[in-house]
Amino acid sequence: MKTLKKFWMVLFVILAWTGSAPAHAALAIIVNPANNMAGITAEQAANIYLGKVGVFPNGNRAMPVDQPASSPARRKFYHSVVKKEGSELKVYWSKLLFSGKGQPPREVGDDADVKSWVAENPDAIGYVDGKFVDKTVKVLLIIP
Amino acid sequence: MNKKLLGILCAGLAWQALPASAATGLEGVSLSGFMTAGATYANRQLLANSNAVSQDGTIEHTPGFTSDSRLGVQISATVNPDISVTGQLLAKARESNSNVKADWAFVTYRVNDPISIRAGKIKFPTFLISDYYEVGYAYPWIRPPQEVYSLNPISTINGADMLARYRFSNMTLLFQPYYGVSRGATTVAPQEALSALSQPAGSIVDVAFTADALHGVNLSLSSDIFTARVGYLQTRVNASSLGVFHDTAKFSSAGLSMDWHNVVLYSEVAKREIDGSANFAFPNQKGSYATLGYRIGKWLPLFTTARISDNDNPKTLLGTPLKQTSKTLGLRYELGSGAALKFEASKITPEKGTRGLLIADPNGATAPNKGDSVMFYGITIDMVF
Repeated sequence: MKTLKKFWMVLFVILAWTGSAPAHAALAIIVNPANNMAGITAEQAANIYLGKVGVFPNGNRAMPVDQPASSPARRKFYHSVVKKEGSELKVYWSKLLFSGKGQPPREVGDDADVKSWVAENPDAIGYVDGKFVDKTVKVLLIIP
Repeated sequence: MNKKLLGILCAGLAWQALPASAATGLEGVSLSGFMTAGATYANRQLLANSNAVSQDGTIEHTPGFTSDSRLGVQISATVNPDISVTGQLLAKARESNSNVKADWAFVTYRVNDPISIRAGKIKFPTFLISDYYEVGYAYPWIRPPQEVYSLNPISTINGADMLARYRFSNMTLLFQPYYGVSRGATTVAPQEALSALSQPAGSIVDVAFTADALHGVNLSLSSDIFTARVGYLQTRVNASSLGVFHDTAKFSSAGLSMDWHNVVLYSEVAKREIDGSANFAFPNQKGSYATLGYRIGKWLPLFTTARISDNDNPKTLLGTPLKQTSKTLGLRYELGSGAALKFEASKITPEKGTRGLLIADPNGATAPNKGDSVMFYGITIDMVF
């Protein structure tokens, strides 16, 4: 019985650890509160993140920021919103970056770093795990 | 563990894990790079006293490592939201002196959202992938089909270009005019020009040349699935060692690339027209290729067929057009994200009476007979970081 108890404990620890960023965590696309946009579509956000447009739909400059490659929020964002990931995304940016036609979004850090970056930069757009959202940023789209 | 130490450790780990355009820690400065390490082998010896098989001598009848190996480092700095500076250093194994050169260095000024102007030393797009030719990771072959890409040995200009990008529905239209001069470029003298340089057949001699008033335009339409482009450029070339001065060279090209439901397609046609004595070494030629591949998970098998032939070279001009066809079987394998392994086997068949893009002296005993072919084998690993 003691072994069984140990087993459940180990299982719990594993679940708690891998579950610290569950796949169903909602993702929020956030901008600075000074941004007058009320919302954004996933396609508009993807175009900004792929460097296809440099402005928000309202015409103001858009500066996208990324989380590190290892971040669950980033994986979810690229999988569900940008719809390009892995080597396809790498090849896409290699063509633009090394021909001097574009720069991938700047990596500023994890959820907390992105939130504070967006809170401080009027042109910024970022994505964070929903639970990091507070009144210092404005949510344009929730990805469930 | 104290927090500072943890921070440093995390920063170190993050550095390891960073993708292209790593943050350098300096505000607004990013560093990225690409590398190709490769080996080649040709199955036949064409000259009595040399292993050289390709016309530039980099693919030999012995395992060789100089044809494709190179390293590039790019630094970009944002001066302000509208101005950025980009520099790229390139070291190629094939360059005899192995010097690192600044492949490009330019300043970008964003005029408004659709329009940017770049000035300095820039790469210009004669063909579909000319402006990232050195970045093997960004295309499916080991080297882009030489039947097209060898037509223009100039890849950078000192000058300026404009990038005007307009979006409508799901597509982007790019209008890119450019103007400049080329200084300090070298190209391997064609075997046909060696007698004019008092060099024996089979020599690999670099000829320095310059180009003036180089101007052209690149027009492309792209979506997530395809890119279609046309381009035209005209310049006046000078090569004092060959007695060439202000001879007009014109290039026109069209290309299509597509990546749709795992089907990968690339195809281009290109023409070169050169007047005056430059025609002797660089006659009017046309080239074309088509590549078809099908992606199966991490694997991308590819087949390419290519041809270079005469483009109505005037008989009054002395140039000997080079003619060959080639067929290439290739395989690309993704090694995670940011690295790819490639294998290629190419069958190169020069037309009778020409050496094609091989080194053989067309007048010598080793001239290829019709139907004679040479096999090139290659393996590379391409990376971006």
